[in-house]
Amino acid sequence: MPVVSAFLVPGNPLPKLKPEVLGLGRLAAATQRAGRALAASRPDAVLVYSTQWLAVLDQQWLTRRHSAGVHVDENWYEFGDLPYDIHVDATLANACVAASPGIGIHARGVDYDGFPIDSGTITAASLMEIGSEARPLVVGSNNLYHDAQITERLGAMAAACADEQGKRVAIVGVGGLSGALFRAEIDLRADRIASAEDDRWNQRVLRLIESADVGELRRVIPEFSAEARADMGFKHFHWILGALKGRFVGARVHAYGPLYGSGGAVIEFTL
Amino acid sequence: MARGEIIAGFLAPHPPHLVYGENPPQNEPRSQGGWEQLRWAYERARAALDAMKPDVLLVHSPHWITSVGHHFLGVRQLSGKSVDPIFPNLFRYDFSLEVDVELAEACAEAGRRAGLVTKLMRNPNFRVDYGTITTLHMIRPQWDIPVVGISANNTPYYLNTKEGLAEMDTLGKATREAIAATGRRAVLLASNTLSHWHFHEEPAIPEDMSKEHPQTMAGYQWDMRMIELMRKGRMREVFKLLPQFIDEAFAEVKSGAFTWMHAAMQYPELSAELFGYGTVIGTGNAVMLWNLRDAGLSMLDAPALRAASRDAARDAQRESITAGRVS
Repeated sequence: MPVVSAFLVPGNPLPKLKPEVLGLGRLAAATQRAGRALAASRPDAVLVYSTQWLAVLDQQWLTRRHSAGVHVDENWYEFGDLPYDIHVDATLANACVAASPGIGIHARGVDYDGFPIDSGTITAASLMEIGSEARPLVVGSNNLYHDAQITERLGAMAAACADEQGKRVAIVGVGGLSGALFRAEIDLRADRIASAEDDRWNQRVLRLIESADVGELRRVIPEFSAEARADMGFKHFHWILGALKGRFVGARVHAYGPLYGSGGAVIEFTL
Repeated sequence: MARGEIIAGFLAPHPPHLVYGENPPQNEPRSQGGWEQLRWAYERARAALDAMKPDVLLVHSPHWITSVGHHFLGVRQLSGKSVDPIFPNLFRYDFSLEVDVELAEACAEAGRRAGLVTKLMRNPNFRVDYGTITTLHMIRPQWDIPVVGISANNTPYYLNTKEGLAEMDTLGKATREAIAATGRRAVLLASNTLSHWHFHEEPAIPEDMSKEHPQTMAGYQWDMRMIELMRKGRMREVFKLLPQFIDEAFAEVKSGAFTWMHAAMQYPELSAELFGYGTVIGTGNAVMLWNLRDAGLSMLDAPALRAASRDAARDAQRESITAGRVS
C-alpha cells in the first residue's frame, strides 16, 4: 500500500499567525505534532487537498517544482504575513493531470511564478513541515462544481498514480469542520464555536471518525454540511477517504477548537 | 475644501480575458486578441472617464472576499504581481497603484457610524485581487488616478441576497457621505458581470472567438431585459427585479458592487449609456455609464456646507423672531 499516513488539519491561518493565543496555539502545536507523525511515516511525497484552493474551470494541480514568497491572507492580513517555500513532486503531479481524464475529469497543471497558493496549503505546509525537498507535495484544487464522490475519485486516482511510480505517500486534507464564522470582530482569546449545535455536530463527526464508522460518516456528512455549514461539504475528508480506498481503522484527534467561530480539528488516521 | 462630487458610476466588469486580449506590457501572457467588442466598449468608457477628470476611482470587487466586515485598501502605495487563481494562464499582471488613504479612512469611518463592521487593510505586502486590477486597468490603463479598493463582504452568500444587499446599500450611502466629507470628485466602478453561468472547460485557444457565446439562453435574455431597463433609466424596476435576476441568471451583481454604486448615487432614475456587451466564457458583461454630472445630479452637500446652511437657517429664524418681537 503506497499510503503510509493520513491527516486532516485546519486551513485557517490563525493558528499559524497567532499561536500566542491559547486555543490557536493548541491547534498549531497539534498540527506540528501531526507533521512529526507524518515525517515518521517516511513518505516520498504528500498528497494535499485544500478547501481554500478554489477552482471553477477544470481540476487544477500544482505542477511548479518550487514556489517561494510571501503570502498575505485576504481576511487575516492584520496578523502578519505567511512566508512559504514549497517543493512539489512535479513528476507525480503531472501524472495526476494526465490520469484525470481517465476518471472523467478535465485537468491542467499550474506552473506559474507568483501563482497565489492558498492560505490553507501554506498554513499546513508551514506547521507540518511538509513541502520540503524531502517531503514534496502534490496539491489538488477544490473545484466548486465537484461533489464528494468526484473528490473521492480524485483522491483515489492520486494515490494510484503514486503507487504506479512506486512512491510512499502521506495524505493531507486541509479544511475545517463547522463553517459558521463570527460576522463581527471578536477578541481571539474569547473565541468559541459559533453555536452549541455546531459544536454538537463537530463532536459527533469527530467521534465517528475516531471509531472509523465510514458508513455512518457517509450518511451524515450531507446533513452535517447543510446544518453546520461544514467547510466545503467536508470534501477534504472525502479526498482522504478516496486515497485510503474508503478504509481506516481509527483516528486520533490531536486537537479540536474554534477558529473565529468555525470548527477546526487536527486528526491523525490509523491505517 | 472643494465640494464633493460623484461624477459618474460605471458598470465595469472584470474578466481577465480583456486584459489578456489587449496585451498590455504589464501582463505576462501574450494573446492573439479576442473579446474585441468588450475591449472597444472599454475604449469608449476610457474616453468618457478621461473627460471627467476625477480625483479618485472607487472600485468594489467581488474577488476580494471578506467574511468579517467591509474592508478598504489602506496603504498608500501597493505593487506586486497579481496572478489570477482561476485563469493563471491569462492573467499575470505587474501592478502598481496609489491609494487615496484619506478617503478610504473616511469611508471606513462613515461605514462604522452607519453600523457596519469596517476595516482598513494596512499590510504593505497585500496582493490586490485580479478583479480590482482588471477593472482599473480596463477603465484607466495609465494608472494615474488614486483609487479606493473595497472588498466584497460575503453576506449576500453567507446569509441571503436581501440582507446582503441591504448591507451594500448602507455601504454605498456611507461612501457618499465620505466623498462629501472629503470634497473629492469621484467616479464609482461596480466590478460586476451580469449573468454568470459559465463554461466548465476552457477552449484550447482561449481567444478563439468561434467558441465564445452565452452559456445559456435564459442568462442572455435576462441580461438584455436588464440592460434595456437601464438604458431607459427605469432603475426602480431594475432593483425590483434584481433578486429574481440574481437567482435565475446566477448574476454576479449578487456580490454587491452594483447596489453599492447605485446607493452611493442615490438610485437615480437616469438612463445609462451602454458602451458594449459581450460574453466571456459564457458570462454576460456590459460596460455602462450613469453620468450624474451631465444630468446635474453630481454635486454633494459637504458637511461644512450643510452646517453653513443650517447656521443660515438658524440665523434667519432668529432674525425673524427678533423682527417679530420688535414689531
